[in-house]
Amino acid sequence: MALDVESIRSQFPILQRTLPNGKKLVYFDNAATSQKPLAVIDAMSDFYKNYHANAHRANHTLADESTAALEGARDRISKFFGTSESQMIYTGSATEAMNLVAYGWARYNLSEGDVVVTTEMEHHANIVPWQELSKERGIELRYVPVDTEKFTLDYDAMEVAVEGASLVCVGHVSNVLGVRNDIERVIQMARSQGARIAIDSAQGAPHEKIKFDDLGADFLSVAAHKMAGPTGIGCLLVSEEALSEMGPFLTGGSIVKRVSLEDTLFQEGYAMFETGTPRMAEAIGWRVAVDWLEENVDFEEAHEHVQRIASWMASRMREIPGITVFGYPEREESIGVVSFLHDTIQAQDLGYLLDAGGFAVRTGHHCAQPLMEAMGVGSTNRASVWIYNTMEEAEAFVSHLESIVSRFS
Amino acid sequence: MGDESGWSEEIQIIVDRFQSCFDTMERYELLFEYANMHPSVLSMEEWDDENMVHGCQSRAHVECLLDGDGGFIAKGGADAQIVQGLMAITAIAVNGLPPEEVACHDPSYVEEMGLSQILTPSRANGFMNMVKKVKDEASSLM
Repeated sequence: MALDVESIRSQFPILQRTLPNGKKLVYFDNAATSQKPLAVIDAMSDFYKNYHANAHRANHTLADESTAALEGARDRISKFFGTSESQMIYTGSATEAMNLVAYGWARYNLSEGDVVVTTEMEHHANIVPWQELSKERGIELRYVPVDTEKFTLDYDAMEVAVEGASLVCVGHVSNVLGVRNDIERVIQMARSQGARIAIDSAQGAPHEKIKFDDLGADFLSVAAHKMAGPTGIGCLLVSEEALSEMGPFLTGGSIVKRVSLEDTLFQEGYAMFETGTPRMAEAIGWRVAVDWLEENVDFEEAHEHVQRIASWMASRMREIPGITVFGYPEREESIGVVSFLHDTIQAQDLGYLLDAGGFAVRTGHHCAQPLMEAMGVGSTNRASVWIYNTMEEAEAFVSHLESIVSRFS
Repeated sequence: MGDESGWSEEIQIIVDRFQSCFDTMERYELLFEYANMHPSVLSMEEWDDENMVHGCQSRAHVECLLDGDGGFIAKGGADAQIVQGLMAITAIAVNGLPPEEVACHDPSYVEEMGLSQILTPSRANGFMNMVKKVKDEASSLM
């Protein structure tokens, strides 16, 4: 059964919006953040209207309800990702989740000379924490290059890079190219070396059902806002073994059993990592988002839908004079990202001109400057497709792009 | 100076041209046109951290000086043509004025051009940063 796109669209109020210039919004910036269904917006509003109180801190009714909702959300969301609530740590974002791997695991387990492997294809969130830790601890940082002809990771180079590594950190899907990396193969490589393996799934989880316990990774980061959930919350999924090796990252209240003036005894498990007032409204919204996804979206159908639109867009855009499409969005495993440039219309200008037609795309380096450098460009325009986009929107986009090129180049 | 608006006749002509545009795309076409008519371009070789305009979504640089007659000159360069077009119009508005006048320059002509749809809050912020840099430099040249 095909995805019921009309039904899905009707549940996203923002997709009905008209822009100040009278154009109807066509939202192709989903890799930056997805829009939210009304059910998520209502659930967060209901929390603030009816049972808002600080979780884990009091014994009044509202606090009980709030705590139950927060922990119920953890149970529901962790099961959605194929694991248990004891293996899910709420974070503020996928970026914070990767920092938690660096400062909550690597800082406690790696020392001078130990090797961390990452890749040239990564978002800065999976590069900068390792560079900082490398400076602090003398860790050796190795980068796996991108094959800029195939636009994939160079897996032969990765075989070499992982030798003797303690940790391998790789993106599930490139936010610039939409390339779905062969993470199963990378996990095998890392395992063969006895290395821990961290997957940055900020861009993967919105497109593919994550089965964390079956995957065999030690860490996996997710951002709620890229998959119909609210901003300000994400999580790190952690294997039991890796969790037992972690120590505190951000410290303060909530994560302690006892504090004296001399020392602090920390909580165990995920409770060691969630300091400060919990992200209650965000967790409640995210829980409703995963419920909504389960009810409305079959991930295989969604992938087929998204890939069909992006593939069509890429192939048509390649026919427009002066347009270069990077990578291969037409590949079956690609996930709906089309990065492109025009040879005379500057990327920022092209972003403004697309916006004038109502089309929201991202322009810039996409927080992936090493990849941009490997591609030989400073920035790209990026159209990214998700479940509520339609082929009609794609056709209108290509038509507007053709018009821009004929008028402005 | 032109009418009571306080703009020069040259700026009034530009305002009129923008006001006669049919839609946003035509306004962008005009900005592209003015980008190529910038009266005092700051070449890319002259771009540095000191003359960079912060808060712009694209790269933009402004450097100001006085000509032999003490008239103000705002040199500008941007990688985006739309930003360069806005810089060009600003340069047309202020070039040749005494720095005392530039220091209290009011860029309200941009609003009159119907550019409010183009200048969304973050873009307007970049434009205002550029104008502020021009005015600050004018103050320092007084």
